[in-house]
Amino acid sequence: MSDHLDRVDELAALPPPVPPPIGAALEGELAHLETVGTRRPLRQLAILVGLSVVYATGLVVVLATRGDMHELPMGWIAGAAVGWLFGFLVPSYLALVPRTGSVTPRWQPAAIAAVIASLGFVSLGLAIHPMGDHSVRLGWEQFGRGHPCLEIGLATALVPVIVGAIFLRGVLPVGSRWIAAALGAGGGCLGGLVLHVHCNIADGLHVGLIHGGVVIIAALLSAAIVPRASNA
Amino acid sequence: MADAKELMARYCDGDASAFRELYALVAPRVYGYLVKMARQRALADDLLQLTFFKVHRARSAYVRGADPIPWIYAIAHRTFLDEARKQNRAVVRVAETDELPETRADLHGQSDASRDEPRADPELVQTALDALAALPVQQREAVVLTKLDGKSVAEAAEIAGTTVGAMKVRAHRGYEALRKLLGGTPSAVRTAGGGK
Repeated sequence: MSDHLDRVDELAALPPPVPPPIGAALEGELAHLETVGTRRPLRQLAILVGLSVVYATGLVVVLATRGDMHELPMGWIAGAAVGWLFGFLVPSYLALVPRTGSVTPRWQPAAIAAVIASLGFVSLGLAIHPMGDHSVRLGWEQFGRGHPCLEIGLATALVPVIVGAIFLRGVLPVGSRWIAAALGAGGGCLGGLVLHVHCNIADGLHVGLIHGGVVIIAALLSAAIVPRASNA
Repeated sequence: MADAKELMARYCDGDASAFRELYALVAPRVYGYLVKMARQRALADDLLQLTFFKVHRARSAYVRGADPIPWIYAIAHRTFLDEARKQNRAVVRVAETDELPETRADLHGQSDASRDEPRADPELVQTALDALAALPVQQREAVVLTKLDGKSVAEAAEIAGTTVGAMKVRAHRGYEALRKLLGGTPSAVRTAGGGK
Protein backbone atom coordinates (compact mmCIF):
# COMPACT_ATOMS: atom_id res chain seq x y z
CA MET A 1 0.00 0.00 0.00
CA SER A 2 2.91 2.33 0.77
CA ASP A 3 3.87 2.06 -2.93
CA HIS A 4 0.79 4.08 -3.71
CA LEU A 5 1.73 6.85 -1.31
CA ASP A 6 5.21 6.85 -2.82
CA ARG A 7 3.59 8.64 -5.74
CA VAL A 8 2.77 11.48 -3.36
CA ASP A 9 6.34 11.42 -2.03
CA GLU A 10 7.48 11.75 -5.62
CA LEU A 11 5.27 14.82 -5.98
CA ALA A 12 6.76 16.29 -2.81
CA ALA A 13 10.30 15.74 -4.08
CA LEU A 14 9.73 17.75 -7.27
CA PRO A 15 11.13 21.30 -7.38
CA PRO A 16 8.55 24.09 -7.17
CA PRO A 17 7.09 25.17 -10.51
CA VAL A 18 8.27 28.31 -12.26
CA PRO A 19 5.84 31.13 -11.49
CA PRO A 20 4.72 33.63 -14.09
CA PRO A 21 6.51 37.00 -14.09
CA ILE A 22 5.11 39.90 -12.09
CA GLY A 23 1.93 41.13 -13.78
CA ALA A 24 1.55 44.45 -15.57
CA ALA A 25 -0.77 45.91 -12.92
CA LEU A 26 1.70 45.19 -10.15
CA GLU A 27 4.62 46.40 -12.26
CA GLY A 28 2.67 49.64 -12.71
CA GLU A 29 2.37 49.97 -8.94
CA LEU A 30 6.08 49.24 -8.48
CA ALA A 31 6.99 51.99 -10.93
CA HIS A 32 6.01 54.57 -8.34
CA LEU A 33 6.57 52.71 -5.13
CA GLU A 34 6.61 54.86 -2.02
CA THR A 35 7.80 54.26 1.51
CA VAL A 36 5.05 53.12 3.85
CA GLY A 37 5.02 53.13 7.61
CA THR A 38 4.71 49.57 8.87
CA ARG A 39 2.44 48.39 11.66
CA ARG A 40 3.63 48.86 15.24
CA PRO A 41 1.22 46.75 17.28
CA LEU A 42 2.13 47.94 20.79
CA ARG A 43 1.92 51.57 19.72
CA GLN A 44 -1.45 50.85 18.14
CA LEU A 45 -2.61 49.16 21.34
CA ALA A 46 -1.52 52.20 23.38
CA ILE A 47 -3.43 54.52 21.02
CA LEU A 48 -6.54 52.31 21.13
CA VAL A 49 -6.48 52.09 24.93
CA GLY A 50 -5.74 55.80 25.34
CA LEU A 51 -8.51 57.00 23.02
CA SER A 52 -11.01 54.51 24.41
CA VAL A 53 -10.33 55.36 28.06
CA VAL A 54 -10.55 59.11 27.38
CA TYR A 55 -13.85 58.56 25.56
CA ALA A 56 -15.21 56.30 28.32
CA THR A 57 -14.17 58.81 31.00
CA GLY A 58 -15.93 61.57 29.06
CA LEU A 59 -19.09 59.45 28.93
CA VAL A 60 -18.99 58.88 32.70
CA VAL A 61 -18.53 62.61 33.29
CA VAL A 62 -21.50 63.42 31.04
CA LEU A 63 -23.72 60.65 32.45
CA ALA A 64 -22.71 61.08 36.14
CA THR A 65 -21.71 58.35 38.58
CA ARG A 66 -24.20 56.03 40.28
CA GLY A 67 -26.05 57.39 43.30
CA ASP A 68 -25.61 54.25 45.40
CA MET A 69 -21.82 54.07 45.03
CA HIS A 70 -21.08 55.00 48.68
CA GLU A 71 -23.49 52.32 49.94
CA LEU A 72 -21.80 49.41 48.16
CA PRO A 73 -18.80 47.38 49.38
CA MET A 74 -15.66 49.20 48.19
CA GLY A 75 -13.91 45.86 47.58
CA TRP A 76 -16.64 44.84 45.15
CA ILE A 77 -16.70 48.26 43.44
CA ALA A 78 -12.92 48.20 42.91
CA GLY A 79 -12.67 44.49 42.13
CA ALA A 80 -15.41 44.60 39.51
CA ALA A 81 -13.89 47.74 37.96
CA VAL A 82 -10.51 46.00 37.68
CA GLY A 83 -12.26 42.96 36.19
CA TRP A 84 -14.01 45.06 33.55
CA LEU A 85 -10.73 46.87 32.80
CA PHE A 86 -8.88 43.57 32.30
CA GLY A 87 -11.80 42.40 30.20
CA PHE A 88 -11.10 45.38 27.96
CA LEU A 89 -7.30 45.19 27.93
CA VAL A 90 -6.68 41.46 27.45
CA PRO A 91 -8.87 40.82 24.37
CA SER A 92 -7.71 44.13 22.85
CA TYR A 93 -4.08 43.11 23.36
CA LEU A 94 -4.64 39.69 21.81
CA ALA A 95 -6.58 41.17 18.89
CA LEU A 96 -3.88 43.69 18.01
CA VAL A 97 -0.50 42.31 19.04
CA PRO A 98 0.89 39.23 17.24
CA ARG A 99 3.42 36.97 18.86
CA THR A 100 7.05 37.89 18.16
CA GLY A 101 8.05 37.11 14.58
CA SER A 102 4.50 36.95 13.25
CA VAL A 103 2.44 39.44 11.21
CA THR A 104 -1.06 38.26 12.08
CA PRO A 105 -2.48 38.46 15.62
CA ARG A 106 -3.17 35.31 17.61
CA TRP A 107 -6.76 34.54 16.75
CA GLN A 108 -7.06 31.46 18.97
CA PRO A 109 -6.17 33.12 22.31
CA ALA A 110 -8.22 36.12 21.16
CA ALA A 111 -11.18 33.83 20.54
CA ILE A 112 -10.80 32.23 23.97
CA ALA A 113 -10.57 35.66 25.61
CA ALA A 114 -13.70 36.83 23.76
CA VAL A 115 -15.68 33.77 24.88
CA ILE A 116 -14.47 33.97 28.49
CA ALA A 117 -15.26 37.70 28.69
CA SER A 118 -18.69 37.21 27.11
CA LEU A 119 -19.79 34.36 29.33
CA GLY A 120 -17.86 35.40 32.43
CA PHE A 121 -19.38 38.83 32.91
CA VAL A 122 -22.92 37.56 32.35
CA SER A 123 -22.37 34.82 34.95
CA LEU A 124 -20.66 37.11 37.45
CA GLY A 125 -23.36 39.76 37.04
CA LEU A 126 -26.09 37.20 37.68
CA ALA A 127 -24.26 35.77 40.69
CA ILE A 128 -22.73 38.81 42.43
CA HIS A 129 -24.70 42.06 42.57
CA PRO A 130 -24.69 43.85 45.94
CA MET A 131 -27.41 46.46 46.49
CA GLY A 132 -27.64 49.61 48.58
CA ASP A 133 -30.57 51.70 49.81
CA HIS A 134 -30.51 53.83 46.68
CA SER A 135 -30.04 50.93 44.27
CA VAL A 136 -32.88 50.20 41.84
CA ARG A 137 -34.39 46.76 41.28
CA LEU A 138 -36.18 46.15 37.98
CA GLY A 139 -36.64 42.37 38.00
CA TRP A 140 -38.27 40.46 35.13
CA GLU A 141 -41.39 42.65 35.10
CA GLN A 142 -39.50 45.81 34.18
CA PHE A 143 -36.48 44.18 32.59
CA GLY A 144 -37.04 46.02 29.29
CA ARG A 145 -36.70 49.40 31.00
CA GLY A 146 -33.00 48.71 31.31
CA HIS A 147 -32.39 49.09 27.58
CA PRO A 148 -30.62 52.48 27.83
CA CYS A 149 -27.73 50.64 29.52
CA LEU A 150 -27.41 48.42 26.45
CA GLU A 151 -27.25 51.52 24.27
CA ILE A 152 -24.67 53.23 26.50
CA GLY A 153 -22.53 50.09 26.62
CA LEU A 154 -22.59 49.61 22.85
CA ALA A 155 -21.90 53.31 22.27
CA THR A 156 -18.82 52.96 24.50
CA ALA A 157 -17.67 49.91 22.54
CA LEU A 158 -17.82 51.83 19.27
CA VAL A 159 -14.53 53.68 19.73
CA PRO A 160 -12.26 50.69 20.49
CA VAL A 161 -13.91 48.63 17.75
CA ILE A 162 -13.61 51.34 15.11
CA VAL A 163 -10.02 52.20 16.05
CA GLY A 164 -9.11 48.49 16.10
CA ALA A 165 -10.75 47.89 12.72
CA ILE A 166 -8.73 50.74 11.22
CA PHE A 167 -5.50 49.34 12.65
CA LEU A 168 -6.26 45.82 11.41
CA ARG A 169 -6.95 46.68 7.77
CA GLY A 170 -5.16 44.13 5.59
CA VAL A 171 -3.75 42.26 8.58
CA LEU A 172 -6.27 39.43 8.83
CA PRO A 173 -6.40 36.98 5.93
CA VAL A 174 -7.45 34.27 8.41
CA GLY A 175 -9.18 34.21 11.79
CA SER A 176 -10.66 37.64 11.19
CA ARG A 177 -14.04 36.92 12.78
CA TRP A 178 -12.49 35.77 16.05
CA ILE A 179 -10.11 38.72 16.17
CA ALA A 180 -13.05 41.04 15.49
CA ALA A 181 -15.07 39.28 18.21
CA ALA A 182 -12.21 39.88 20.66
CA LEU A 183 -12.12 43.57 19.72
CA GLY A 184 -15.88 43.74 20.26
CA ALA A 185 -15.71 41.87 23.56
CA GLY A 186 -12.97 44.24 24.74
CA GLY A 187 -15.05 47.24 23.74
CA GLY A 188 -18.08 45.69 25.41
CA CYS A 189 -16.11 45.29 28.65
CA LEU A 190 -15.19 48.97 28.53
CA GLY A 191 -18.91 49.62 28.10
CA GLY A 192 -19.50 47.38 31.13
CA LEU A 193 -17.01 49.45 33.12
CA VAL A 194 -18.84 52.67 32.23
CA LEU A 195 -22.14 51.07 33.29
CA HIS A 196 -20.56 49.74 36.49
CA VAL A 197 -19.65 53.31 37.46
CA HIS A 198 -22.83 54.95 36.13
CA CYS A 199 -25.84 52.64 36.54
CA ASN A 200 -27.55 52.12 39.91
CA ILE A 201 -29.86 49.36 38.72
CA ALA A 202 -28.39 46.54 40.75
CA ASP A 203 -30.53 43.43 40.39
CA GLY A 204 -28.83 40.34 39.00
CA LEU A 205 -30.91 40.11 35.84
CA HIS A 206 -30.02 43.64 34.80
CA VAL A 207 -26.35 43.47 35.77
CA GLY A 208 -25.89 40.01 34.28
CA LEU A 209 -28.00 40.12 31.15
CA ILE A 210 -27.75 43.82 30.23
CA HIS A 211 -24.30 44.87 31.48
CA GLY A 212 -22.80 41.46 30.69
CA GLY A 213 -24.93 41.17 27.56
CA VAL A 214 -23.23 44.28 26.16
CA VAL A 215 -20.04 42.19 25.86
CA ILE A 216 -21.78 39.42 23.92
CA ILE A 217 -23.68 41.75 21.61
CA ALA A 218 -20.61 43.92 20.93
CA ALA A 219 -18.56 40.79 20.16
CA LEU A 220 -21.21 39.42 17.77
CA LEU A 221 -21.73 42.75 16.00
CA SER A 222 -18.00 43.28 15.65
CA ALA A 223 -17.50 39.73 14.30
CA ALA A 224 -20.20 40.38 11.71
CA ILE A 225 -19.05 43.82 10.56
CA VAL A 226 -15.33 44.32 11.15
CA PRO A 227 -13.95 41.56 8.83
CA ARG A 228 -15.76 43.12 5.86
CA ALA A 229 -14.32 46.51 6.69
CA SER A 230 -10.76 45.33 7.28
CA ASN A 231 -10.30 42.74 4.51
CA ALA A 232 -6.85 42.32 3.01
CA MET B 1 20.16 36.18 -1.32
CA ALA B 2 18.70 38.24 1.53
CA ASP B 3 16.04 36.69 3.72
CA ALA B 4 12.34 37.42 3.42
CA LYS B 5 12.21 39.70 6.50
CA GLU B 6 14.97 41.95 5.21
CA LEU B 7 13.48 42.06 1.71
CA MET B 8 10.03 42.89 3.06
CA ALA B 9 11.48 45.71 5.19
CA ARG B 10 13.35 47.18 2.20
CA TYR B 11 10.23 46.84 0.06
CA CYS B 12 8.22 48.78 2.67
CA ASP B 13 10.96 51.41 2.54
CA GLY B 14 10.15 51.91 -1.15
CA ASP B 15 12.76 49.63 -2.74
CA ALA B 16 11.09 48.01 -5.78
CA SER B 17 14.07 45.72 -6.42
CA ALA B 18 13.51 44.22 -2.95
CA PHE B 19 9.96 43.35 -3.99
CA ARG B 20 11.30 41.59 -7.10
CA GLU B 21 13.74 39.61 -4.96
CA LEU B 22 10.97 38.78 -2.52
CA TYR B 23 8.81 37.63 -5.42
CA ALA B 24 11.63 35.46 -6.76
CA LEU B 25 12.07 33.95 -3.31
CA VAL B 26 8.46 33.35 -2.31
CA ALA B 27 6.43 33.14 -5.53
CA PRO B 28 7.63 29.65 -6.62
CA ARG B 29 6.49 28.14 -3.32
CA VAL B 30 3.20 30.02 -3.24
CA TYR B 31 2.63 29.23 -6.92
CA GLY B 32 3.26 25.53 -6.27
CA TYR B 33 0.68 25.64 -3.49
CA LEU B 34 -1.85 27.43 -5.70
CA VAL B 35 -1.32 25.10 -8.67
CA LYS B 36 -1.88 22.07 -6.45
CA MET B 37 -4.97 23.65 -4.92
CA ALA B 38 -6.53 25.18 -8.05
CA ARG B 39 -5.36 22.60 -10.62
CA GLN B 40 -5.77 25.15 -13.42
CA ARG B 41 -2.71 26.96 -14.66
CA ALA B 42 -4.45 30.15 -15.73
CA LEU B 43 -6.36 30.27 -12.46
CA ALA B 44 -3.19 29.69 -10.41
CA ASP B 45 -1.45 32.45 -12.39
CA ASP B 46 -4.30 34.84 -11.63
CA LEU B 47 -4.41 33.84 -7.97
CA LEU B 48 -0.67 34.39 -7.64
CA GLN B 49 -0.93 37.87 -9.13
CA LEU B 50 -3.92 38.67 -6.94
CA THR B 51 -2.10 37.39 -3.86
CA PHE B 52 0.90 39.62 -4.45
CA PHE B 53 -1.33 42.54 -5.35
CA LYS B 54 -3.04 42.12 -1.98
CA VAL B 55 0.35 41.88 -0.27
CA HIS B 56 1.31 45.11 -2.01
CA ARG B 57 -1.86 46.90 -0.94
CA ALA B 58 -1.56 45.63 2.62
CA ARG B 59 2.20 46.11 3.02
CA SER B 60 1.67 48.77 5.67
CA ALA B 61 0.18 45.98 7.83
CA TYR B 62 3.57 44.26 7.91
CA VAL B 63 5.35 44.20 11.29
CA ARG B 64 9.08 44.77 10.95
CA GLY B 65 11.14 41.77 12.03
CA ALA B 66 8.30 39.33 11.38
CA ASP B 67 8.51 36.49 8.85
CA PRO B 68 6.25 37.57 5.96
CA ILE B 69 6.02 34.12 4.36
CA PRO B 70 3.22 32.62 6.54
CA TRP B 71 1.28 35.87 6.08
CA ILE B 72 1.71 35.71 2.29
CA TYR B 73 0.65 32.05 2.30
CA ALA B 74 -2.39 32.96 4.39
CA ILE B 75 -3.32 35.66 1.87
CA ALA B 76 -2.91 33.09 -0.93
CA HIS B 77 -5.12 30.67 1.04
CA ARG B 78 -7.81 33.36 1.49
CA THR B 79 -7.57 34.36 -2.18
CA PHE B 80 -7.93 30.75 -3.31
CA LEU B 81 -10.97 30.17 -1.08
CA ASP B 82 -12.65 33.35 -2.32
CA GLU B 83 -12.05 32.28 -5.92
CA ALA B 84 -13.27 28.72 -5.22
CA ARG B 85 -16.52 30.16 -3.85
CA LYS B 86 -16.91 32.35 -6.93
CA GLN B 87 -16.27 29.35 -9.17
CA ASN B 88 -18.80 27.25 -7.29
CA ARG B 89 -21.36 29.95 -7.95
CA ALA B 90 -20.25 30.10 -11.59
CA VAL B 91 -20.74 26.37 -12.18
CA VAL B 92 -24.39 26.93 -12.93
CA ARG B 93 -23.59 29.69 -15.38
CA VAL B 94 -21.02 27.53 -17.20
CA ALA B 95 -23.52 24.70 -17.46
CA GLU B 96 -26.15 27.06 -18.80
CA THR B 97 -23.89 28.42 -21.53
CA ASP B 98 -22.32 25.06 -22.40
CA GLU B 99 -18.82 26.52 -22.12
CA LEU B 100 -16.15 23.97 -21.37
CA PRO B 101 -14.19 24.44 -18.16
CA GLU B 102 -10.49 25.04 -18.46
CA THR B 103 -8.34 21.94 -18.77
CA ARG B 104 -6.46 20.77 -15.72
CA ALA B 105 -2.84 21.56 -15.23
CA ASP B 106 -0.04 19.28 -14.20
CA LEU B 107 2.11 20.10 -11.19
CA HIS B 108 4.06 22.57 -13.26
CA GLY B 109 0.95 24.47 -14.14
CA GLN B 110 0.98 23.24 -17.72
CA SER B 111 -1.56 21.25 -19.62
CA ASP B 112 1.09 20.41 -22.17
CA ALA B 113 4.73 19.47 -21.62
CA SER B 114 6.51 22.65 -22.57
CA ARG B 115 8.71 23.68 -19.67
CA ASP B 116 12.33 22.83 -19.05
CA GLU B 117 11.92 21.62 -15.51
CA PRO B 118 12.94 18.36 -13.85
CA ARG B 119 10.12 15.86 -14.14
CA ALA B 120 9.22 12.66 -12.39
CA ASP B 121 7.41 9.77 -14.02
CA PRO B 122 4.53 11.71 -15.61
CA GLU B 123 2.01 8.91 -15.19
CA LEU B 124 2.72 8.43 -11.50
CA VAL B 125 2.66 12.16 -10.86
CA GLN B 126 -0.57 12.57 -12.81
CA THR B 127 -2.20 9.76 -10.84
CA ALA B 128 -1.15 11.39 -7.58
CA LEU B 129 -2.41 14.78 -8.75
CA ASP B 130 -5.74 13.31 -9.79
CA ALA B 131 -6.09 11.67 -6.40
CA LEU B 132 -5.22 14.97 -4.72
CA ALA B 133 -7.85 16.75 -6.78
CA ALA B 134 -10.48 14.28 -5.59
CA LEU B 135 -10.01 15.33 -1.95
CA PRO B 136 -12.23 17.93 -0.28
CA VAL B 137 -10.55 21.37 -0.26
CA GLN B 138 -9.65 21.31 3.44
CA GLN B 139 -8.07 17.86 3.27
CA ARG B 140 -6.30 18.72 0.02
CA GLU B 141 -4.88 21.85 1.59
CA ALA B 142 -3.73 19.94 4.66
CA VAL B 143 -1.94 17.35 2.49
CA VAL B 144 -0.43 19.99 0.19
CA LEU B 145 0.90 22.11 3.06
CA THR B 146 2.14 19.36 5.37
CA LYS B 147 3.16 16.64 2.93
CA LEU B 148 4.06 18.39 -0.31
CA ASP B 149 5.24 21.81 0.91
CA GLY B 150 6.92 20.38 4.00
CA LYS B 151 5.30 22.77 6.49
CA SER B 152 4.85 21.76 10.11
CA VAL B 153 1.30 21.15 11.30
CA ALA B 154 1.49 24.37 13.34
CA GLU B 155 2.59 26.41 10.31
CA ALA B 156 -0.12 24.84 8.16
CA ALA B 157 -2.73 25.60 10.82
CA GLU B 158 -1.61 29.23 11.00
CA ILE B 159 -1.84 29.59 7.21
CA ALA B 160 -5.27 27.97 7.01
CA GLY B 161 -6.59 29.83 10.05
CA THR B 162 -7.47 26.71 11.98
CA THR B 163 -6.28 24.91 15.10
CA VAL B 164 -3.35 22.50 15.19
CA GLY B 165 -5.73 19.71 16.21
CA ALA B 166 -8.09 20.37 13.31
CA MET B 167 -5.16 20.50 10.88
CA LYS B 168 -3.89 17.15 12.16
CA VAL B 169 -7.33 15.62 11.65
CA ARG B 170 -7.63 17.07 8.14
CA ALA B 171 -4.16 15.84 7.19
CA HIS B 172 -4.83 12.38 8.60
CA ARG B 173 -8.15 12.08 6.78
CA GLY B 174 -6.52 13.42 3.63
CA TYR B 175 -3.77 10.78 3.79
CA GLU B 176 -6.32 8.05 4.41
CA ALA B 177 -8.45 9.21 1.49
CA LEU B 178 -5.36 9.42 -0.73
CA ARG B 179 -4.35 5.92 0.32
CA LYS B 180 -7.75 4.60 -0.75
CA LEU B 181 -7.75 6.56 -4.00
CA LEU B 182 -4.23 5.54 -4.92
CA GLY B 183 -5.03 1.93 -4.12
CA GLY B 184 -7.35 1.97 -7.12
CA THR B 185 -6.45 2.17 -10.76
CA PRO B 186 -5.39 5.46 -12.33
CA SER B 187 -8.59 5.54 -14.35
CA ALA B 188 -10.62 5.08 -11.18
CA VAL B 189 -8.78 8.02 -9.63
CA ARG B 190 -9.46 10.16 -12.67
CA THR B 191 -13.13 9.31 -12.48
CA ALA B 192 -13.18 10.21 -8.79
CA GLY B 193 -11.21 13.42 -9.35
CA GLY B 194 -13.64 16.25 -9.47
CA GLY B 195 -11.69 19.32 -8.39
CA LYS B 196 -13.00 21.40 -5.54
